Amino acid sequence: MKQWLVALTALLSTAGLALATAQWRMQPQQSTLSFVGTQMGASFEGSFEKFTADIHFDPQDLAGSRFEVKIDMASVNSRDKERDGVIKGPDLFGVQQWPAGHYVAERFDPPRNGKYTAAGKLTLRNVTRDVPIEFTFEQAGDGAWLKGEARLPRLAFGIGQGEWADTSVVADEVRVRFSLQLKQ
Amino acid sequence: MQIRNDTARYGAVAQFFHWAIVVLVVTQFVLASIADELPLGAAKVIMLARHKSVGITILGLVLLRLLWRWLNPVPAVPEATAPWQRLAARVSHFLLYALLLVTPVFGWLMSSARNFPVSWFGVFTLPDFIQPSEQAFDFFHQAHEMLAVSLLIVALVHMAAALKHHFIDRDNVLRRMLPVKLKEE
Repeated sequence: MKQWLVALTALLSTAGLALATAQWRMQPQQSTLSFVGTQMGASFEGSFEKFTADIHFDPQDLAGSRFEVKIDMASVNSRDKERDGVIKGPDLFGVQQWPAGHYVAERFDPPRNGKYTAAGKLTLRNVTRDVPIEFTFEQAGDGAWLKGEARLPRLAFGIGQGEWADTSVVADEVRVRFSLQLKQ
Repeated sequence: MQIRNDTARYGAVAQFFHWAIVVLVVTQFVLASIADELPLGAAKVIMLARHKSVGITILGLVLLRLLWRWLNPVPAVPEATAPWQRLAARVSHFLLYALLLVTPVFGWLMSSARNFPVSWFGVFTLPDFIQPSEQAFDFFHQAHEMLAVSLLIVALVHMAAALKHHFIDRDNVLRRMLPVKLKEE
């Protein structure tokens, strides 16, 4: 009876693997998640040092594809410690209260001009908003590059309380760029 | 008033450059000292953005001014001037131009080093010639302040000399940089 159960479990999991859309492992060393903000008319780039991406993607099976990204908001790096301190503070990211950012995309459109689009939901500061992304997916051998961009209005997530709500100081729109090295 | 310089006096364009730069440099010291007192917040970001925009304006005006100077005669020093004073005038003018050029350039590099790129009043953004780096920022920050203090000292000497010419020598040296008639000599 026990042996029979083990055999059944093995059989089911093998079948499950075969059915599931290609699962990719993100290579943290080669992958980047960055953003471009605009401060007093001048844009500056920063990045997140720590994030994970759970990518199920198959160009032949968009319906079964799914992205899930978790971002350690305290890992933000704008190349200036003082500014990082302000970004992590309660008026912007509020990392004490909301340490993680979360993005899930489950609806994918076929590529137009080589670019896929995904309809996803981003959660920051416990606020969830629709954030579409555009990306390219280039497979080579057992690896792939997933690269893309999104634009999001920071104030819709409450990023910018008090004096930081002024969009003439920090623009509302933030561009987010990602470049993920994936391995199967 | 005449537009161009002649050997006796500065014309309207040279005077405009001179006095506009005086006003803007004073503005720079005021903005910088206000910003220094503020914690990193929107008010400080605004003050520093203005400081950078005004600094780039000075840089542009100084370049145009040097071009204008090159295209115009420079009024002669009064004949009675002692040789050491002629030399002092040449050296201090050279230093003033050099400091007016290098101080904003170092401010610009300092901004790039801290990943706070420079925008000119939100109209355009200047390129970053160096990568963000704490060491580079510390160097350019200190150098920018030392240059600014040097500029202030040389400008005060320059001002004292102009006042000495006006009130003690009673010559036309200050008048020729003002929109007033020259005294008969």
